[in-house]
Order: sequence, then C-alpha cells, then structure tokens
Amino acid sequence: MKFWLGRTGSILLAFALCAGIQLLADQQSDFVQRLIVLAGLYVTLAVSLNLINGITGQFSMGHAAFYQIGAYTAGFIAMKFYAGAKLPPELWMILSLLTGAAVASLAGLVVGLPSLRLKGDYLAIVTLGFGEIIRIIVQNQPAIGGAYGLSVAPRFEMIWLVWLLAILCIAVCRNLLKTAHGLQFLAVREDEVASSAMGVNVTRTKVTAFLLGSAFAGAAGALLAHFEGFVSPKMFTMDVSFIIVTMVVLGGTGSITGATLAAIGLFFLPEKMRDLPNFPLGNLVATGIGIIIMVVGFRHIAASFHGKIVERVMRYLAILTLAVVVALVLGPIVSKVPTLGVPVEGAKLRMVVFAVTLIVLMLLRPQGIFAHHEFSWDWLRKVLRLDGAKKVPA
Amino acid sequence: MAGLELSTLPQQLVNGILLGSIYALIALGYTMVYGVLKLINFAHGEVFMIGAYAALFASWGLGYTPNNAMSGSNPINLLIMLLASMTLCGLLGVLIERFAYRPMRNQPRIASLITAIGVSLLLQYGGQLFLPSSPAPNIDAKVNPYQDNITIPLRPVDGTLVTAAKQLEAKQLETKAAFDAYLTRTKESPFQLSVAGQPLKKAAQDAERDLRTAEGKAEASGLSIRLPKGQMIMLVTTVVLMALLNFLVMHTKPGRAMRAASHDFDAASLMGINVNSTITFTFLIGSALAGAGAMMNATFLSGTKIDTFFGMLPGVKAFVAAVLGGIGNIPGAVLGGILMGLAETLVVWAGYDSYRDAIAFIVLIIVLLFKPGGLLGSNKVEKV
Amino acid sequence: MSVCLKLSEATIKFGGLVAVNKVSFELKQGDLFGLIGPNGAGKTTCFNIITGVYKPTSGEIEFNGKQIGGTPSNKIASLGIARTFQNIRLFKSLSVLENVVVGGFLRHKTGLFGAMAYLPAQIRETEKLRAEAMELLEIVDLADMASARSADLSYGMQRRLEIARALATQPKLLLLDEPAAGMNPQEKEELNVMVRRIRDQFQLTVLLIEHDMRFVMSLCERILVLDAGTEIASGPPDAIRNDPKVIAAYLGQPA
Repeated sequence: MKFWLGRTGSILLAFALCAGIQLLADQQSDFVQRLIVLAGLYVTLAVSLNLINGITGQFSMGHAAFYQIGAYTAGFIAMKFYAGAKLPPELWMILSLLTGAAVASLAGLVVGLPSLRLKGDYLAIVTLGFGEIIRIIVQNQPAIGGAYGLSVAPRFEMIWLVWLLAILCIAVCRNLLKTAHGLQFLAVREDEVASSAMGVNVTRTKVTAFLLGSAFAGAAGALLAHFEGFVSPKMFTMDVSFIIVTMVVLGGTGSITGATLAAIGLFFLPEKMRDLPNFPLGNLVATGIGIIIMVVGFRHIAASFHGKIVERVMRYLAILTLAVVVALVLGPIVSKVPTLGVPVEGAKLRMVVFAVTLIVLMLLRPQGIFAHHEFSWDWLRKVLRLDGAKKVPA
Repeated sequence: MAGLELSTLPQQLVNGILLGSIYALIALGYTMVYGVLKLINFAHGEVFMIGAYAALFASWGLGYTPNNAMSGSNPINLLIMLLASMTLCGLLGVLIERFAYRPMRNQPRIASLITAIGVSLLLQYGGQLFLPSSPAPNIDAKVNPYQDNITIPLRPVDGTLVTAAKQLEAKQLETKAAFDAYLTRTKESPFQLSVAGQPLKKAAQDAERDLRTAEGKAEASGLSIRLPKGQMIMLVTTVVLMALLNFLVMHTKPGRAMRAASHDFDAASLMGINVNSTITFTFLIGSALAGAGAMMNATFLSGTKIDTFFGMLPGVKAFVAAVLGGIGNIPGAVLGGILMGLAETLVVWAGYDSYRDAIAFIVLIIVLLFKPGGLLGSNKVEKV
Repeated sequence: MSVCLKLSEATIKFGGLVAVNKVSFELKQGDLFGLIGPNGAGKTTCFNIITGVYKPTSGEIEFNGKQIGGTPSNKIASLGIARTFQNIRLFKSLSVLENVVVGGFLRHKTGLFGAMAYLPAQIRETEKLRAEAMELLEIVDLADMASARSADLSYGMQRRLEIARALATQPKLLLLDEPAAGMNPQEKEELNVMVRRIRDQFQLTVLLIEHDMRFVMSLCERILVLDAGTEIASGPPDAIRNDPKVIAAYLGQPA
C-alpha cells in the first residue's frame, strides 16, 4: 500500500513539475520557449542513446535517424488523419507520440540487427550508414516533401509533454538499472561470451536496447514535428547524431545522470552559436593555443602529480588561468597578422565547438564527466552525511 | 527508369575503373592503419580533403588563379602539385596520429573512435572558417597539359554507311566548287547574294549538311572509348604508386616492420621494432597516398569543386572499399576500390543517380553481414 | 547412477586444424572429473563445444539424455550447464554482488515491462536474487567484498567469484576451467575443500581442467588426458600418474 502511495505521489510530482515548466515557459519569448523544448528533446535523445551505447555497450551512431522517423511519421499521420479524426489536441499528441515511437522502433529493430554480429568501430560505421540511408530515402520521397520538407499541421506547443517524455525516459532507464533486469544490458556490455554462458540472451538484450532507445527517440521526433510545424531532411543530418553522441560521451557513457546533465549543458550551443558576432580568425587561433596549453598541462598534472587533492586542484586552476590569459592576450596580437585578421562567422563555430569538446574530452577524461556514476538519493544522503554514518578517516 | 544504354557501357566501365583507382588510393590508407592499429581512421577522408586544397593552393602558387589566364602547362607543374599534396597530407596524418590517436592507445577502442570523429569534424568545420569554401573553388583545368583524348575504337564503323558518306563527298565538293567559283566571278558577299547566286549556295549547304549527317551516322555506328589523356596519366600514376607501396611493404625494412606490427604489437616490439616509428610511418604513407588521390581527383576530373566536406563521401566509400577487399589487406584495398568505383558508376548509368552515395552503405552492410572478412580477408574466430 | 554428460567422438576442426579429435567420455551424476593435458591439447575447446561457444564438426554431446551439440550457449546455461573461464571473464565494472546476480537472473520469472515500471513484483524478485547471491558469496567466502568492484579483486578472489556466479545459474553440471591457476598452496587447499563442498551441497557434477597435477590428483575421482586434441589415457588418478604415454606427452619424449 505504501508503495502505491509513493508511486502515485511521484507521478503527480512529475506532472506538477511539467505543468510548472509549461507555466514558466508561457511567460517567455518564443526563442526561450524553443530552447526549453529543445532541452527536453535532447535530454530524451541523449538518455535513450545512452541506453544503447552506454548501458548496453552497442556503439550506435545514427540516432538522428530514429528522431527523423518519429518526426516524419507524426507529420505524415497529421497530414492524412488529423482533420478527419477530430480528436482533442492532447489525445492526438499522445497518439502521435506512440505512433512515432512504434515506427521508429521498427527502424531500431533493423538498425539493431547488425549489432548482433558487429562490434565497436564496425557497428559505429554501419549504424551511421543506416542513418544516412534512411535520410537519403526520405529525401527522395516526394510524397512526404522530399528534399524540401513537410509541413506539419497543426502546431502544438506542448512543452509540458516534451518534459514529461524526458522524465519518463529517465525513469524507465533508471528503473531498469535498479532492478536485476537492467543487469543483463550491463552484462552484455561487459562481456558477451560470459553473459551468454550465464544464460543471458544476448541477441534479445541488444535488440531490446535498440527498440527502447529508438522508440524514445521517435517519440521525441513526433513532438519536434508538431512543435516546429515543419520537418525536413536537413534537420536530421549526421551532425545531429554526432551532437547526441557528444552529449552521451561527455556525460559519461552509462550514466543517466551524466547524459541528462550533458544534454542540458550542451543543447543550447547549436542555437546560441547562431547569433555569435563575427570576430577575427586570430582570436580563434589564440583560443586554440589556449586549449592546447590547457590539455597538455592537465594531462601532465594527471600523469605526474601525486600530492594532495587540494594542491592538485590548485594546479589545475593555475593551468586553466594561464590558458585563458594566453588566449585573451594573444588574440588581438595574432589578429594583427594580415591573413589572420579575417573575420570569422560565429555561427560557423557550433560544430567546431562540439568537435573540440569531443577531442579534449577524450584526451582528458575519456570516461566522461560522470563516468558510470549515477545520482541517487543514497549518494546525496551520504555526501551530506544525513545517513548517520561516521566520517571515515582519510 | 530509362532503358539501359548498352552502347555507353564500355565507357562507363572505364570511368568506373578510373574513379575506383582514386578510391583505391584512399582505401590503402584506411587498410594500412587498421592493419597496424586496428583503428578506423575516421579522419582519413578529411586528410584527402586537405590534399585537394593543397593541390589547389599549389596551382594558385604556380599562377593558375581564377583571375589569371594562363596558357598551357607542363608536367612539372603537375609534379609540384602532387608533391605538395602528398607532403602536406603525410605531415597531417603524422600529426593526427601523434596528438590525437597515440594518447588513446591504452584506452578502450571507443575512445579512439570518438577522437577520430572529433578530428574529422574539426577539420571539416574548422576548415570552413578559413578555407575558401563558398563558392567552392576548383582547380583551373588549364593546369593539366594533357587535354587531349585517346580514342580507342571498339567496334568498327559500319562499312556501308562509310561508303554512302563517301559518295556524298563528291557531290559536296562539286557544289562547293561551283559556289566558290560563282563568288570569285561575281565578287559577291556570301551573305548578300543576288537571286542568281542563292540556289548555288543552297545546293552547297544541302550537300554539306547531307555529308556531315552521313559521316556522323557512320561514326556513331562504331563504338569507341574516349580516354582523356589526363585520366590515363592518373591511372598510370596510381599503378606506379601502388607498385612502390608493394615494394615498400614487401621488400624493405620499414615495410617488414609494418607487417610485423600488424600481426602482433607486443611481439614486434620485443623483436626490436620501434612500434611508434612504425605507426608514424604507416600514417605517413597512408596519408600521402590519399593526398595523391586527392590531387589527381581534383586536377584530372576537371571541374571538381573543392569544399571542406569534399572528403566525406569519398572517405566513406573508400572505407567501404577497404572493408570489401578485406580490411588490413593491401591488395584487397585496391580490389575493393576498383569495385566500388565500378559499382557507383554503374548505379548512375542504370539511372539511379540519387542513390549513388547510398550504394556504398548498402555494399558495406551486405559485406559486414555476410562476409565481414571481406573478399580477400579472413574470418577470424574469436578465441574464448 | 545416471549419466550426466556423454561425449561421443566429439570433433571440432578449425580449417585444417583438428582441435578436438573424436573425444569420448562419460560423466555420471556426482562425478568429480578432471580433464588434463599439455598446453594446446584442446581442453578449453572441449569446454567450448560443450557450452555452445563452438559447434562441433561431428560427434555427439548428450546432457541428461538430450542432444546439445550446436545449441547456443545461453540455452545450454538454462539446461543446467555452467562454467568458469580460463582467462577470467568477469563483468569488470559491475560489483561482486552484481556479477553473481547476473548468473541468478537466468531463473528470473518477472517481465521487462514491469521492471521498466519498477513494479513490486520486480522489486521483490530483485531483492530475492540479491539475497540468493549473497548466500553464494558466503559459500565462496567473498561476502564482505559484495559491493566492491569486481575488477579490484585479487586473482584468487576473482576465480572464486566466477564460481559463485556460475553457481547462481543453478546448474547440474559445473565446468571449471583452471580454477586453481594463480593461487598459492593455501588457497588451492581451500579450493579443493570448497569444490567438494559445493558438489555435495548442490548435488553437482563437476568437470574441471587443471594444470596443477597435485590438485587434480587429490580432487578428481577420474581423469581424462588429452594431447593434441586426442585422448591418450583415462582412468583413476593412480593409473594416470604412472601412464608412460601421459608422462611422454608432458615431457615431450617420444611415446
């Protein structure tokens, strides 16, 4: 009984949170509303990819394809059936969500099949390839707009539903990991041969991961379609897949918390970068030099300094400061060099930022910021020492 | 889908082989790196792209800029461009290995793959910031001194048509002579003829037209392949480079080191092979070959537009070629490259132009699902 | 006593290499059977064909009356055969307890959807599996390391953990691949006692590969000797100890 009480409470809390977000968003400008929606969508995308990549260890690189399929499915059924169905918006939206998820998970099944035989690099390439094939096929179908895209009517700006989906996605993954059922995914990631020897159906596990991951991405796509009112192949290029992968990797492959936070931390970058002013190339070069100093310095400290934590942090900060100062000072100076005074469009920087993030991340902390750790109430209690345990002497 | 034009098939096959030779050069880089490091060098396509830019800038340096009208060229120019591309690409490959891949060697495979993706994206989008990209430039066709074509007749022309044309020739000469004589006699301008002269002009024109039509028909009845000389040079250069590579790998010490390292890292280093140098060397050669491919692609397939995403598709296709041939297998990369070139050309020839890029992915998926070791590779069993 | 495992001329070829050549033997329920031989003799390969990692080229493998040659390894596990690995294949980033729970998961009854919704039935089953796993850890004396990362354990502990994990699948036949490798004499003694204890407690049949002759001779009731994929001797420890063919195989003298 207590269980169901608690369960109802959490569900109500989730709804309340989403309602709160919707209320907050309604008072904001269109631009900010869009950002809030995108944040929620990317959280769903990152967490669902994390299920495939991080938790089950299948390196899937074409996640944007499922996003696209969900979006186009929603657009298609809206085009064909919305007028006739005469359903209330919320109901239609949920139907759209489910349909998008279903169709996307079919694609997930197809994309997941190679994972049964391929590993690592090869699987990455094949999933990337599938993503591209799907995009090319969609691009060549005039019935759904071809290369020009498809307009989706009507537009629904259900921000609360976007975040409800995100919360649902997080909850599902979290629940899996809290039960023994989640262990089969982790086991397959760790060692397929051993998992199979212990009775885990490796094929079924991998396919399930792909089905679940792609279903959530498809649902997110459906929401995107109705929010933007328009879908086109250009919205689902390889870059989008790379952005989602960056989020998962940055957060820490396998960490739901990490994926969520990384998604929230990075999602706005592609949008914000559109409005950057132009600045001289020299500044960019100087920033690059600063980054190189930071990476070299950090790696050196990590490898050779073995003192106390406080001193280590001080050293990191020192290097960081040095890097920033060098970048700021060198910028204007280097820009004086004729070829480097050329103005650079800020907007073009967005993928560069992601690229550099990936490289620096791999050089400094390949396991991602959170590695495989998760946020949990137990951990919080432990940290705040609310659980009554004595402090363990260092 | 339009009917398949069988008459154009031989030409398409040749085009396919030419295209395939470029893919082969790039594929060699992939296969050699994978053989030694078991790493897919995602950034290899971008090295190819930089090679194209290197050739472009070299051509500009030699004076073939858009605003400058140069007349003619010579093989030395081409050699300079080739060396520029190969050198710059070789260096770039070495740098990437040293600073992006080497730190990842003790990390799980995924880390190297992600780093490679990062480098690839960095080159593509970073390049956008300062390389000329829109409008996408191309190398001035005039830098290629070999502008002619070699025509190889395949099927001889229809004899009867040739005789028919020949018969019309006499009439054409006769009417032309008559018209010229008239012009000489009356000193009229051909464009302001009197009433008397016009029938003569018409007769001459008709005869000429008939002759040309008949001649055209005769020629079209035969089948020939037109080989641009420049592309022949390209094919020859590719073959030479591959022969050099083969010699290098099979008969020199660094080559032996490469082969040893590709079998077993640790054993190789225990045998005194400097594994780091060997890997650097592998990247150097592989990248230089890609540079050569890029220079030739951009120069001889004239009109090729160069932008920072230029390397993406060829990179993927060449990777598929390497896998098709058996990744890690050098002759396999060449075979795979040719096959991929043929496949792409034939897909376009059959009318499925919009799927020319998808064919690469389709081939990849088929190979990986049914014969992951490729055509010349082995299916290794995992030891448990 | 019933026949538990029976190999009849089991053979496997990799290309031209015959790794296991017409090997035949029979295990009765409750046996402690040893499989020995020089390196590369095909012992682990035998394990691999029994457990479904490889499919035998020819010959039959019968388990409790059922033909299992070519059956996939997860199905073999559900039929009641569990194993440990020569090179230790633990789930490295999982905890000690979680490793064992994975083994127990084979016998789970609740569904995935319920797990996704975190329903009481799934929570209860998870608790049950964790409790059962803890019991197994007690048996192999790793209970106090339950929440440690399995990769952080010492070599000997890792081997014991693999045994606990295999036991979690509730097997009838347990295959141990070099369980004593890397252990000191004290640990080997304890392992000897442990293997007997679990054989009795869980009514298992045990088939083990080992290189340590003394360990094998003191533990196993019957032994089969392989060399280059072929059986060269079989019988009780005393017979094997003095068999000239066996001595020649190990020492490299002509037979």
